[in-house]
Amino acid sequence: MTKGEPPIHPIPRPLPQRAREGELIAWVNLSRWLGTALLYFVLTIMLILFMVPVYGAIVTAFKSQAEVSAGGYWTVPTRFAAENFERVMNPDDGNLGLYLQNSLLLTIPASLFSIALGTLAGYGLGKYNFKGDGMLFILIVAGMFLPPQIALIPVFRLMNDIGLYDTLWAVIIIHTAFGIPICTLVMRNFFQVVPNALREAALIDGANEYSIFFRIMLPLTLPALAVLATLQFTWIWNDFLWPFILTQRAESRTVMVGILNLTGQYTVDWGGQAAASLIGSLPTLFIFVFFQRYFIRGLTLGAVKG
Amino acid sequence: MLRRHPWIFPASFLALPLLVYCTFVILPTLNSLYYSFTDWVGYGADFNFVGLANFEKIFTDRLFSNAIKNTAIWLALAMTAPTLLGLALALALQGKRTINTIYKSLFYLPICLSPIIIGIIWVWLYSPKLGIVNLFLRSIGLDHVATAWLANPNTALFAVFVAWAWQQTGLNMVIFLAGLTSVPTPLVEAAKVDGANYWQTLTKVIIPMLRPATVVVLALTAISALKSFEIIWVMTMGGPFNKSDTLAVFMYSESFRKFKMGYGSSAAVILFLMTLVIIVLYFRQTAAAEELYD
Repeated sequence: MTKGEPPIHPIPRPLPQRAREGELIAWVNLSRWLGTALLYFVLTIMLILFMVPVYGAIVTAFKSQAEVSAGGYWTVPTRFAAENFERVMNPDDGNLGLYLQNSLLLTIPASLFSIALGTLAGYGLGKYNFKGDGMLFILIVAGMFLPPQIALIPVFRLMNDIGLYDTLWAVIIIHTAFGIPICTLVMRNFFQVVPNALREAALIDGANEYSIFFRIMLPLTLPALAVLATLQFTWIWNDFLWPFILTQRAESRTVMVGILNLTGQYTVDWGGQAAASLIGSLPTLFIFVFFQRYFIRGLTLGAVKG
Repeated sequence: MLRRHPWIFPASFLALPLLVYCTFVILPTLNSLYYSFTDWVGYGADFNFVGLANFEKIFTDRLFSNAIKNTAIWLALAMTAPTLLGLALALALQGKRTINTIYKSLFYLPICLSPIIIGIIWVWLYSPKLGIVNLFLRSIGLDHVATAWLANPNTALFAVFVAWAWQQTGLNMVIFLAGLTSVPTPLVEAAKVDGANYWQTLTKVIIPMLRPATVVVLALTAISALKSFEIIWVMTMGGPFNKSDTLAVFMYSESFRKFKMGYGSSAAVILFLMTLVIIVLYFRQTAAAEELYD
């Protein structure tokens, strides 16, 4: 209980008369049932409203242009048409295939690198005590909250200077660096709860510090790595600002920048925009469906103490 | 407590991550501060040190004060609506019923979508003639309410905010749900036995116990509200007449459209300082909470 909170005093209630007891219980049950029914009624209405955007994207993507222009923007398609998907994937039209490929070539290495570096830093901070380790930890974790805007201009200049501007490498490096805080936080917390007896036993057996890390600690980290992989993949895949600033040509365009460009090309073509949006969301929807447990664990890390 | 180790081991684990982190996060952050005192235009190496001129100018810039005003509105809305809605959803859906699991999943589905895609979809919803918002309003006879939501200066900022909140609500719900698992059931039961009704249990037991989760929700919401750029850029580009121009959008426009990089840097520094206030408050709150619970 929170400090300073007054204790809850029992509120004296008059006991119901014996004869009325049955009647009262029936009333209580009925009102409780009605309450639950009303709650789910309200929740269902809210959910329907909440799902309108998703519904809109799906029906629009699968509708033929003819049907859309006949006015059926929000109706269920009369037949499922794949033409929007063909159009946006066509290299001479939407060219989304190239952007998807770029996004994969960016997201996978950037996720791996940030997790690898975060694991190293997390181990260094979680399993060793040294002077200033607390300050160092705060310095790294604070980066999690840094608005990207503060680094935008210097990074733009730096990437120009080292000749990486307009390459996927520029975006890979920046997402690796900006991913280090969250990965370090998760891994440090993870390593802190791994029993020290495990290390000490290995030290007695003559293992050195590095073989302990690689042979004993790393295999234990799989659940934490899964959490980070889902988080990092989703964030980097969905990011727009960094590739928007650091790339220019179509050859280095990521899927989110590509999709935004398409909305300029397909101003009134909602079908094309919807199909591109669905394709661009598929990888993260896949994570949402199959790895939801890990993803949610990652989102709520640090939200509950103790 | 581990015994003292030779410094070489932690250093060998920390060297590479720290090198990358300092080069591409810390150094650019400090560099931004430096650029904010210059008149750099985005290309070439020659620029002048202008002292506080950018800051003097920015505080008399009408566009800047407009952006601050919009950011304040955005922040105030962000801290309230999605927080309360997320809390309400978490309380309603916390049980283990199958229907709750399904509802929860659907409410947090928007979290896995990119703000770019959310923006694109909401632009159709708000479309003046064909958008479902106006179609619905007309169908119930509210023709006079229907408007061009994103082109109308009075509604643009709020319309974009609703789209943003659509994603944020699910995230807040998830954090509150995690917080609720740490509320001990016996405590809630005890309150009921003592005759507290649902409202009393909620305000006197559950909400005080949710304090750590609430602090996290408010801090994360404030920070992501301050830096949110993408969804505004997709939906209105800060328009019409800069009515949805927040500090993050202002910073981008000044730096990368007008190429006033030095001036844009000073806007970035101000945005950073605002975030810093929240970070410091957040760390102090969590430290206080830890003391309280330990």
